Amino acid sequence: MVSLATLKRTAEEGLRYLRRQKDVQEAEVFVASNDGLTARVNYTSHIPCNGVEEPKSTSSHGLGVRAVFQNPQGPRIGLGSEAGDLSLNGVKAALEKARRSAVHDPDFTTLPRPSPESRTLTKYHDPSAMTLTDTDLVQAGWRVLTRALDEFAKAGSLSALAQTGPKLRELGFIVGGDVTVLLERMAIGSTRLPKVQTDESTLIASFVTAMVEREGAKGTGYGCHTRLSAMRGDAGAEAARNALSAVGGVRIKDGEYAVILGPQPVTELMCNLILPSLTVASFYDCSSAFHGRLGRQVAHDDLTIYDHGALTGHMGSKGITCEGLPTGRTDLIKDGKLIGLLSSFYETERMLHDPAAKEKLGVPPEDCPSALVPRNGFRFGGGGRRFDMAPSVAPTNVFIEGRKKKTREDLLRQVQNGVYIGRIWYTYPINGLRTGDFTATVVGDSYMIKDGKLTAPIKANVVRINDNIHQVLRNIMGITSKSRGTTIWAADEVVYAPEIAVARLRLTEIAGFMDVH
Amino acid sequence: MMPTVSKAITTDLVEAFKNSAADLAAEAPDTYKLCRYADLRIEVTEEKHAGSENGTSKYAFEDSHIACGIRVLAGDSTIAPGYFGQLLGKADLPRLTQTLASGLKRAYARAVANAREKARIRDKYKDLGEALSDTRLAPVEVQRDTVKAEYAIDPRQVCLDDMVRYVTEVSRAVQDVDEQLKYNAVSAVTLVTRELFASSEGACIDQSFALTTGSVHVVAVSETGDQELSDTIGHQRGWEVVTEGIVEEHIRNLDLLTFSTNLARDAVKLAHAPPLRSSDKDVAVVTDPHFNALLAHEIIGHPTELDRALKMETAYAGRSWLLRALNDTMVGKAVASALVTAYSDPSLPGFGHYKYDHEGTPGRKVVHIEKGIFRGFMNNRQTAAILNVPPNGSCMATEAHLVPLVRMSTTVFAGGARAPEDIIREVDKGYYVVGHRIPSIAESRENFRISAQKVYEIRNGQIGQLYRGGGIMADTKTFLMKVDAVGRDFRLFPISNCGKGQPMQGRRLGNGGPTLRSRAHLTGPA
Repeated sequence: MVSLATLKRTAEEGLRYLRRQKDVQEAEVFVASNDGLTARVNYTSHIPCNGVEEPKSTSSHGLGVRAVFQNPQGPRIGLGSEAGDLSLNGVKAALEKARRSAVHDPDFTTLPRPSPESRTLTKYHDPSAMTLTDTDLVQAGWRVLTRALDEFAKAGSLSALAQTGPKLRELGFIVGGDVTVLLERMAIGSTRLPKVQTDESTLIASFVTAMVEREGAKGTGYGCHTRLSAMRGDAGAEAARNALSAVGGVRIKDGEYAVILGPQPVTELMCNLILPSLTVASFYDCSSAFHGRLGRQVAHDDLTIYDHGALTGHMGSKGITCEGLPTGRTDLIKDGKLIGLLSSFYETERMLHDPAAKEKLGVPPEDCPSALVPRNGFRFGGGGRRFDMAPSVAPTNVFIEGRKKKTREDLLRQVQNGVYIGRIWYTYPINGLRTGDFTATVVGDSYMIKDGKLTAPIKANVVRINDNIHQVLRNIMGITSKSRGTTIWAADEVVYAPEIAVARLRLTEIAGFMDVH
Repeated sequence: MMPTVSKAITTDLVEAFKNSAADLAAEAPDTYKLCRYADLRIEVTEEKHAGSENGTSKYAFEDSHIACGIRVLAGDSTIAPGYFGQLLGKADLPRLTQTLASGLKRAYARAVANAREKARIRDKYKDLGEALSDTRLAPVEVQRDTVKAEYAIDPRQVCLDDMVRYVTEVSRAVQDVDEQLKYNAVSAVTLVTRELFASSEGACIDQSFALTTGSVHVVAVSETGDQELSDTIGHQRGWEVVTEGIVEEHIRNLDLLTFSTNLARDAVKLAHAPPLRSSDKDVAVVTDPHFNALLAHEIIGHPTELDRALKMETAYAGRSWLLRALNDTMVGKAVASALVTAYSDPSLPGFGHYKYDHEGTPGRKVVHIEKGIFRGFMNNRQTAAILNVPPNGSCMATEAHLVPLVRMSTTVFAGGARAPEDIIREVDKGYYVVGHRIPSIAESRENFRISAQKVYEIRNGQIGQLYRGGGIMADTKTFLMKVDAVGRDFRLFPISNCGKGQPMQGRRLGNGGPTLRSRAHLTGPA
């Protein structure tokens, strides 16, 4: 990792240089260093395997320059970047690329101006994560795996299952997943901002799936941390325990069921349907499922959702955005009413100047300034804060709350008879985001609910959900006060997801042929 | 010896570093005492992007970048892997050999630490530890070769301003199609990539390819409904792919202007069409080659990737219903009607084309289903060794700093003998499913729901009413077993983004097929 001091110095020197360029109207230099370390786990008791399959890393550092060039036909904006070079030559090269690629974008007004809000989060990262060794990385992967194997080895119930052979391993234990550590450092300076700012963050996540494959039993475990010391391999143990609980799974018939969605399905719905529809960009391009409904009721009045990027101890937190603006809380849905959207500076400006803004939002933008505050302009593109990308809109920590403080037992009592869905997969807006239609399959951690209690586990991969997100949001029956930091594959945000009871969800039985083939 | 390098990052750099990189890889087992194997990949890409929205220019981007990835297998009492990857820049060029050497050292350290832990855990867990085995690579013939990129208009010579002007004109033309088009975005990418693969076994493969793609996204809103549509054209060729289109034996790639305005017209028609009603039971469906490209991708390509079948993607992209255990597979069993043959073939043209994979194995055709009988999987050297079969060259990474995975090349349903119009004409009551949109597939690929761009009713052999929001859902094996007609209209299409691995690697691939007829549930808006 490149030191924060070096990144800051590069930004300062770069900014001084950019200010001196005669054709440059305004400019910004973004300098970043990212390390992504992953120990990928793959254990299969019935197939030769490595245990820790991929102890690996990817690293990068470099700088990007966004510059606005004076031009007789109107200002032109360009982005250029230079990998691996934090010297002034790097800035010059990036500026030249920005100059060559500059275009006239009629929606561009100015680079981000200072926000009336101020930064509240500093020095929140874990310094020990920045010095993780190769051996530490490898051991983190093995720790997760051995915690899972310990659970399998000590499970008395498995001895009975292994009746067809003397070996436990023939039951087909699978432990897959990873420990991922993402280390990010950045500095940003802009002719529009008063000073060069820096930020440093660490994200530590573990996500594990375990199976007793012969029994079609699957369980999940995961953990999101900001401190390396918190990564004790618990995700492996949890996944194995959940897989063991899923042994003896049953099928269910097609129909509409009252359901409780666990934190992972709630996160899937958030990341694939709801949050993409809660950005100013999706209102601009007419793709939001909530198009034209700002200020209106879009969900049951029990539901509140907000994004907060400036909380200590939360994995998605950042001190500043990749536009150099303070992070903070953005209220999105309050008591079921849509009151705010995630935005970057560019998207807010574009919406404010869009003649069709009233139709797109549902209200004139000047009537709802607090709904369009740019606190979420980030340069996420996989592997940290990317110096070679322009900012786009991304959530940080997303919180979901209900008005009434409920427990899982409360929700079970409400549902009485139905289905607890603990993990879903491939959740997509099957007819486009705007329609709200979605589908997914139920892949594990799920149970029948009978007489207000969790009963038989549901077999993995035998149920498909076919429904619409608006119906789900309208049919909320209750939300637990307890939530859990949850991430899903390839998502940058962390959803602090509760369990949510929904009165009706359409479930379709699938893959009957698998029981006989 | 330090190679002489140019000051800019260009694909020519690979020439300058070829020998030193090959030497570094070849000498790894001598340099590091526990090293059993090492390979090293370097990739240089020169690329240009341009984008527009609603008839106005939005962005342009021109850059070149270099990345490296290193794999080491090492250990004493057991063998395990370690990896290292890095994105590099111009400033790294004078010390590239040292950077690669340092990366090799890191990958070796990880492999050694991994091997030690593997041995310790294997001993500790006895029965459950028995599966922890040495990492072995199935043997391949060592290759030394150079493969040139193919193009008419060199992506490196395309003027960025011309690209911006072109996509902006296309976007404007889309906007002019109908006032009910509320939004459109048009983009294009053209690039040349040169990849070097060198291994401790002596392989040294230098292969280049050009790639050009154009994409369009439209939203149409009428008084009665709305419709979003997106689609992509593309080929491993130069800028001519976008401006002129490409017509080859199996490819009908329209120019981006015609392609985009056609899609816009479809979106407007669909916004006025009634929504499709879901069916309670199977109905006759005729699926067109564009729809079947995504179907082949999801229900043939993915479940026949051997790393999935061996459970290595259980936590991410999923497993495969075609292999439960090494002694419980579908190989040799009927999984489709006798009319169905499906295969992957990297020699086919398009996004999925290559001569060697990222382990230096020559890519070859892999037959997955032969007249209804399942035959086998795509593999890499590690998974081939587990099944004790020859490697078939199906191991690719999205970029050099990422770990290669088993990936489909161009996976297709083979063409048949029937005229597509006859396949439709024989249907008394059914639906014609045209163009793919969005897939959702069950974890082991045993069930799918895929939405279509357009669904038409078929009545008495004639195509009738158009519906929006439609698609089909079926269990994979049931759908394949019920295929009762296969067209002769075999076509190939680009698939612009397929995710796999952790961190997720999004990769461009090729897929295709002819018109098929089978039975499935219709799916409409909820």
